Amino acid sequence: MADYAPVDLTAEGQVEFELNGRRVSAPAGTMLVDAAYALGVEVPIFCYEPRLGAPIGACRMCLVEIEGMRGLQTACSTPVQPDMVVRTNSDIAKDGQDGVLEFLLENHPLDCPVCDKGGECPLQDRTFRFGPGRTRFVEAKRHFPKPLDLSSVIALDRERCISCYRCVRFSQDVAEDKALVMQERGAAAEIATLTGDQYEGRFTGNVIDICPVGALTSIPYRFTARPWDVTNTPSICGHDATGTNVELTLREGHVARVTARPEPNYAVEEGWLSDLSRFAYEGNRAPDRLTAPLIRDDGRVKEASLDDAVDAAALVLGRGGRVGILVGPTATVEEGFLAQELARTALGGARIQRLGIPGAGLDAIRSQPRAELGDIDGAGLVVIVGGDPPNQQSIVELRVRKARRRGAAVITVGPRPHALEPVGTAVRSEPGRLAAAIAALDLPEAASTIVLWDEADLAAEPDAAGALARIVGDRGASQIELGADVNGAGLRALGLGAGDVLEAAAAGEIDTLLTIHADPLDGPGAADWGWALGRVRARIAIAAYASAVTDASTVVIPAATHYETDGVYVSMTGRAQRLRPGATAPAGAAPGWELLIALAHRLGAPPPYRSAARAFAAAAAARPALAGLDYDVIGVLGAPVAAVTPVSPNGVNGPREAAGTGLPLVTTTRIFGNAAAHRSEALASVRTGAELVLNPAEGERLGIADGARARLRSPHGECILAVRLAADHPAGAAFATTGVPGAGVERLLPADRGPVNVEIEAP
Amino acid sequence: MPIRNVVYRQREAGQVLTDLSDYRRAGGYEALRTALTEMDRDETVYAFVRSGLRGRGGAGFPMGRKASFIPKDSVLPAYVVCNADESEPGTFKDRELMETNPFQLLEGITLAGYAIGAVRGYIYIRGEYEHQARILDAAIAQARTAGFLGQGVAGSGFDFDITLYRGAGAYICGEETALLESLEGKRGQPRLKPPFPAVAGLYASPTLINNVETLSALPAIIEHGADWYASMGTEKSTGTKLFSISGHVMKPGNYEIVLHDTTLRELVYDIAGGFRPGREFAAAWVGGSSVNVLGPESLDTPLDYESMAEAGSSLGSAGCIVMDDSGSIVRATLRLAQFYRHESCGKCTPCREGTLWLERILQRIVDGEGRMEDLELIESLAGRMVGRVLCALADTGVLPVTSAVRRFRDDFVHAIENGGVPRPEPMMEVPVGG
Ligand SMILES: Cc1cc2nc3c(=O)[nH]c(=O)nc-3n(C[C@H](O)[C@H](O)[C@H](O)COP(=O)(O)O)c2cc1C
Ligand code: SF4
Ligand code: SF4
Ligand code: SF4
Ligand code: FES
Repeated sequence: MADYAPVDLTAEGQVEFELNGRRVSAPAGTMLVDAAYALGVEVPIFCYEPRLGAPIGACRMCLVEIEGMRGLQTACSTPVQPDMVVRTNSDIAKDGQDGVLEFLLENHPLDCPVCDKGGECPLQDRTFRFGPGRTRFVEAKRHFPKPLDLSSVIALDRERCISCYRCVRFSQDVAEDKALVMQERGAAAEIATLTGDQYEGRFTGNVIDICPVGALTSIPYRFTARPWDVTNTPSICGHDATGTNVELTLREGHVARVTARPEPNYAVEEGWLSDLSRFAYEGNRAPDRLTAPLIRDDGRVKEASLDDAVDAAALVLGRGGRVGILVGPTATVEEGFLAQELARTALGGARIQRLGIPGAGLDAIRSQPRAELGDIDGAGLVVIVGGDPPNQQSIVELRVRKARRRGAAVITVGPRPHALEPVGTAVRSEPGRLAAAIAALDLPEAASTIVLWDEADLAAEPDAAGALARIVGDRGASQIELGADVNGAGLRALGLGAGDVLEAAAAGEIDTLLTIHADPLDGPGAADWGWALGRVRARIAIAAYASAVTDASTVVIPAATHYETDGVYVSMTGRAQRLRPGATAPAGAAPGWELLIALAHRLGAPPPYRSAARAFAAAAAARPALAGLDYDVIGVLGAPVAAVTPVSPNGVNGPREAAGTGLPLVTTTRIFGNAAAHRSEALASVRTGAELVLNPAEGERLGIADGARARLRSPHGECILAVRLAADHPAGAAFATTGVPGAGVERLLPADRGPVNVEIEAP
Repeated sequence: MPIRNVVYRQREAGQVLTDLSDYRRAGGYEALRTALTEMDRDETVYAFVRSGLRGRGGAGFPMGRKASFIPKDSVLPAYVVCNADESEPGTFKDRELMETNPFQLLEGITLAGYAIGAVRGYIYIRGEYEHQARILDAAIAQARTAGFLGQGVAGSGFDFDITLYRGAGAYICGEETALLESLEGKRGQPRLKPPFPAVAGLYASPTLINNVETLSALPAIIEHGADWYASMGTEKSTGTKLFSISGHVMKPGNYEIVLHDTTLRELVYDIAGGFRPGREFAAAWVGGSSVNVLGPESLDTPLDYESMAEAGSSLGSAGCIVMDDSGSIVRATLRLAQFYRHESCGKCTPCREGTLWLERILQRIVDGEGRMEDLELIESLAGRMVGRVLCALADTGVLPVTSAVRRFRDDFVHAIENGGVPRPEPMMEVPVGG
């Protein structure tokens, strides 16, 4: 656990003091526990958790002796002082630690054999190392009915709770959802939600990680494994573009659990995961997972071996027709590069594109100085332009809240309501008029400014990107892209564009299409893609999940998911980080990079490498944006890709007008409303569907009642949605949820996610 | 009789002073006028310092020193908070002040506010004092109408107002930082110190917290002078002190006496009328219950801070609980242990678990299931609580238990060896108060 704060023992301003008879030093202001830990002395703790804010000194586990001070002191709340004499292992200090453990165990059930925390329990460990060997407590222990469901994913065993307040502080002070409270007092104190409802939110699962005992456990993981039955692997979350660092718990070839890493990545997620990152892993074994290769022959589908499927794919691709290759947003850098290599060598002349936002005008803002998510903490001013970070790049929300708690001013500007608006000053922009709203912003002075901007919103309004880039440049600010796609930045670093194949296919210039983790028929522009793909004769799909594309492919080769493969993702802040396989792909599937290398062999252009690491090294050698990187350089915590070449912010000036008539469409996203959330049983009770939200005035004007259904039509396509009338949504726009499997809102959009208007009517 | 009604001005006046005109007729608001017109802030603080007045809430910290800790250069507003949570067992002296002499408290808060440059005062009153809260509310309204609160207090350039806030019934909310949390609308639990309230108190602003009696003593100090006040008592125990006396005495109640001039024996026998016929003094908890219990050998201790400390106890809140020889010290100790277990806020481990454990052990002893080693266990557990907890509740809450086990060890041994403690005889066979 990230129990102790990192300490830089080489920083300026060290304070010298004595620790257990040793002369040592640590930076001024460092808490004694952290300094001691960095110096190799572990002072046991329970309530201390530097990420939760100032210490509260509740558990008293960290008692140490400090010469000249009465009684014992809590090392978690005592900063190092020049020449203080500290003893953590004197008889009196040990009596303090021993005593606190004795008190903690007094009412503790000690049901370690049936406790899910057993084997990875700080209370168990610390009792063993610092505690008494026996108890003098002969009375009856406190009993509570156990366990309660704090939510559909968190079980609460109140008997095991040691009242360390970590979960309460997380809810109150980090997520700021204000849901968890300590109820009653004294020995009757218990954790509960303020309202008595379930603990639901975007970040609830973090309390499982920080609970130092088995009081809060993961319901999906409960009773599936003991720590000695599992292996843990550091990896990256593949469900949003933030590059959240995670640890995968592997049991019998499967992902049994996703947690924060014991050593968090302070530059990225700081050890906090969204519930999507944490619980989506169950989708890895969802019913729509492809587990056996398929070959379609004259309308007959037959299962094949992987070898045969790759052979068949090579056969189709090698026939000499005009080939198009589509690389999906969850493909790794290696997979993108290998696809490019195919297009360059074996399939010379093939067209290739990534599936994502072209974002022609975005380099103006992208080339401004980048910041990391960790830099948000210390910013004086945080400006959020467009998007809905809490739902799309969720952990950004926690960083922004933290910055606000530390005194930063927060300003949001954008067309849709979201959960960070109330955190600061909210400016609501008219749909399609972000540039004007940005130009009108009255930003306060601040020592450091970080601008977060939404890739999709600014791509739809390239003039806004320029306007924002000018502000960033003028203020000497730095910027963070709120990326739409998991590995969008990685695929861009390879130089992959986002329009070529669609254009060619629409013009009838593609005979054979190879899709790699790409599902154009469910994404933005689904209707346009549908039309264009109708002109393609043969399709080959390398994919992890069944989709409309795989349903219509001649050869379907199941691929490993990001839980099962080596590879590199580049986060939206330009941080290259490694996926490490935490699970084994199904027998009929293989990592995409392996499949692409095999395909290249079959097509007679074998690359000179056979591992993901070597494939990445080749990509790094060939692509300037990746220069200097390899798996070792990336290491455990990642390394930055090269900055984007500067582009003038004065490229595009007028707004891009929306196509079609009717109300401007403002797309929205829900954290638990995407395919990953819908696949995971753990998220069943929080997952959400698609809806059309209108201001009541618009509802009245259109004659559509709350709860009715409406047909939406744009120049690209149409769909039918349930309608909700909500006064917190402004009039003059139609808000429709994207990303929900099967809802079809994407059909309304152009493939580049540009602005559209929609006509709305009763179906 | 060594009674000296200074703070209990209503007794001196022979009438309740809940009407502003009555209070003024009794000399009320003269002190405030003097301070506002003749003294600057520093002089006012200095008068408090020179008076030697010590905090009457329990800890006995010199009031003027605390006022002088309030930083002058803070960008945040300063506050005065009056601790009217009066929840210490045996302590009911503040209740009478609020009930019968509310303006003196308001005047005292206003004087303290003027001295430290505060913008507002708060009275945090325990939830059970509903009647007293109503009286204070009415008094605040009258004071406002009369210009003693609000913009330009008493025609001066000093703006100050007072807000009454009712607690919800927790002993711990009398602890000053828990009180501040509660006042801020949070769960009432002590904060980690430092920072102390003088530096970062209510809403992280400089805050002076004092007890009702402490603040109620300020008008007299300003009116009659710090030297006059300091001339009473000893160097370290100046002025008069309100004593609440309860228990087996014939005349329980509140009495104001000059510190040091009276002994415990005089308080118990002369002032409080002694015991029922045939009964002898057995024990006293002089400073509320969070103190070491004293036996008959301490009866001749003068009632002041130093002498009580010398006798091995402390003056505390001066809520003096007295027992005659008809009751069981063991059972009384259990009752007190129950109180601390019930009132522990649960924030820190040694108190949350330790108070429960101590209660369980004492319960067993009372029930006849005690073991001799329990007495050592009590000592050992208490030793693992004191100096290791977050606030004084447990630090001082173990004192009545450990001191009883030490001072009245025979009673405990007797209970362990003889099947526990029999049910107590009914207390009220002779009417009290006669
Ligand atoms: C558990 C606990 C309860 C307390 N209850 C009260 C109380 O009811 N009234 C009070 O004035 N002080 C109480 N105190 C003392 C206060 O913390 C604080 O010392 C006092 O309000 C300061 O005012 P003074 O200096 O005027 O005494 C309590 C302290 C503790 C530890
Ligand atoms: S929380 Fe830890 S010590 Fe308690 S029962 Fe579970 S494993 Fe054992
Ligand atoms: S449930 Fe866990 S995290 Fe929450 S207070 Fe109890 S022990 Fe601490
Ligand atoms: S000593 Fe007791 S009352 Fe005080 S903070 Fe700790 S648990 Fe709460
Ligand atoms: S870790 Fe220091 S008091 Fe809990």
